[in-house]
Amino acid sequence: MTGYLLRRTALLIPVALLVTVISFGIMHLAPGTPTDAASFNPKVSLEARQRMAALYGLDKPLRVQYAAWLGRIARFDFGRSFVDDRPVTEKIIERLPVTLVINIASLLLIFLIAVPLGVRSAAQPGGAFDRWTTLLVFLGYSTPSFWLALLCMAFFGVQLRWLPVSGLHSLDADGFGLLHQWLDMAWHLLLPIGIAAFVSLAGLSRYMRSSMIGVLRQDYIRTARAKGLPEHRVLYQHALRNGLLPLITILGLSLPDLIGGSVIAETIFSLPGMGRLFYDAVMARDYPVIMALVTIGALLTMLGNLLADAAYAVADPRIRVGGRE
Amino acid sequence: MRGFSRASQAGAMILLVLAVIAIAAPWIAPHDPLRTHLPDALLGPSAAYPLGTDQLGRDVLSRLIYGARISLSIGFIAVGIAIAVGVAVGGLAGFAGGWADAVLMRLVDTMLSIPTIFLLLAIIAFIGPGIYVIMAVIGLTSWMGVARLVRAEVLSLKEREYVLAARAIGASSWRVLTRHVLPNAMAPVIVSATLGVGGAILTESVLSYLGLGVQPPMPSWGNILNEGRVALGVAWWLTVSPGVCILITVLAFNLLGEGIRERFRG
Repeated sequence: MTGYLLRRTALLIPVALLVTVISFGIMHLAPGTPTDAASFNPKVSLEARQRMAALYGLDKPLRVQYAAWLGRIARFDFGRSFVDDRPVTEKIIERLPVTLVINIASLLLIFLIAVPLGVRSAAQPGGAFDRWTTLLVFLGYSTPSFWLALLCMAFFGVQLRWLPVSGLHSLDADGFGLLHQWLDMAWHLLLPIGIAAFVSLAGLSRYMRSSMIGVLRQDYIRTARAKGLPEHRVLYQHALRNGLLPLITILGLSLPDLIGGSVIAETIFSLPGMGRLFYDAVMARDYPVIMALVTIGALLTMLGNLLADAAYAVADPRIRVGGRE
Repeated sequence: MRGFSRASQAGAMILLVLAVIAIAAPWIAPHDPLRTHLPDALLGPSAAYPLGTDQLGRDVLSRLIYGARISLSIGFIAVGIAIAVGVAVGGLAGFAGGWADAVLMRLVDTMLSIPTIFLLLAIIAFIGPGIYVIMAVIGLTSWMGVARLVRAEVLSLKEREYVLAARAIGASSWRVLTRHVLPNAMAPVIVSATLGVGGAILTESVLSYLGLGVQPPMPSWGNILNEGRVALGVAWWLTVSPGVCILITVLAFNLLGEGIRERFRG
């Protein structure tokens, strides 16, 4: 077990280094030097530009600059934002909660819907329920999520006035009690969470279905049925445990999509999260923030995959005993 | 089309119709997609303008017809690039093995761990959003799945007897790879290419929505939608119709891809 995880971790070191090379390389894609780009932005003061040039040692060769940057990010120092001169780490930390809340809530929602859908479809592949969910899954796969978000905003927000369409709080939220403020926030996050969940829902229910179909063919399921267990116990107690296993890996793999979904959802609904921060940084050419978010996003994904591997090894002894990848 | 499900046949038919529409755009579009005519701005669907007009009085139907050209070309070319890179990387890694394999697969891992939307937005914002830039960047950020598929296929194929036989009669490595191994590794690639075209069209529409896609006045389904959202309250047809176009097209590619997958499985 430990050996397996150590090997997985060792493989991540070159990947992490490559990630930093790519993040660093992006900064040098733009024509001219990063300070040129920043000088187009009237918000960047001359003082900030000079500090920036000094900070990144832009007169030095690229590999020296890269080594210096790598040394700083190893200590979680991502520099200061070109736009408002605040430490990048601070800006990211204050944006993190919104993104985390949306992603965790939408993941829960996805599981609550996708798992039963997949199990029911797998119980009778080709049956009426399966055919209808397959149709819905294909429609879900093919729907542009931002378009759906716009239509929901127009319908539930503007037309029916049931839900707020942007931001995190009502205008008069300052006067509310604590509980009221929380409810107000949940109210504002309802649509974004629903849309974020929609993005991965189709795929996950499909995985759940095929995983369950594989499990239901096994001998122990036939045994369970043969001894006369009711079908829902066979499905939800015997088969589901094994059927959920592959979802651990899928979950780890879907992290970049979740982050990507945040960019879209937070931009549409004007929410102050990490995705919106990235979009604003790209538009303002705020290099330190862009480089930091690309690096952190990739490292989080790698960590997520490692945790998924570890969880899988805990849940499935075949992995750790066999030592297979 | 024997052996294909009815759903995937429907997908193929839709794509055929779309391809004809895209190719014949100049002859079937009722108006010039770029002609602005302010007195007719934001008209609802009517006989003269079947799908209404936008803020500048341009005919939405004509813009959608021309948009099909742009959106489909972006889908096909981006996927072409992704397939070329993926087959090259996966084929080399699987066939050469050893160090080349280790290095290339770490590159794949790296590209997979960076959230694609971050790369897309950053690169396009820095280089500037031209249509060729968009094709290239979507292609260069979506080849990793193909590389993994091809590598896995090549690994299993290169030990087959007919490959060993080809080697035994003295065929060069290049010939063995390109003539004997890769052609037999193509089945999963075709499936993922078909699904990939739909994915690339969706990606272009997201980029357009964020203002980094195909730039106006050139119409793509994504930027028609983006221009329409400002007027969502007064002119819903501007937002609904391009979204429906994207939905139908991506659905058709997904149905066809799934059909081909089932067909290969036999």
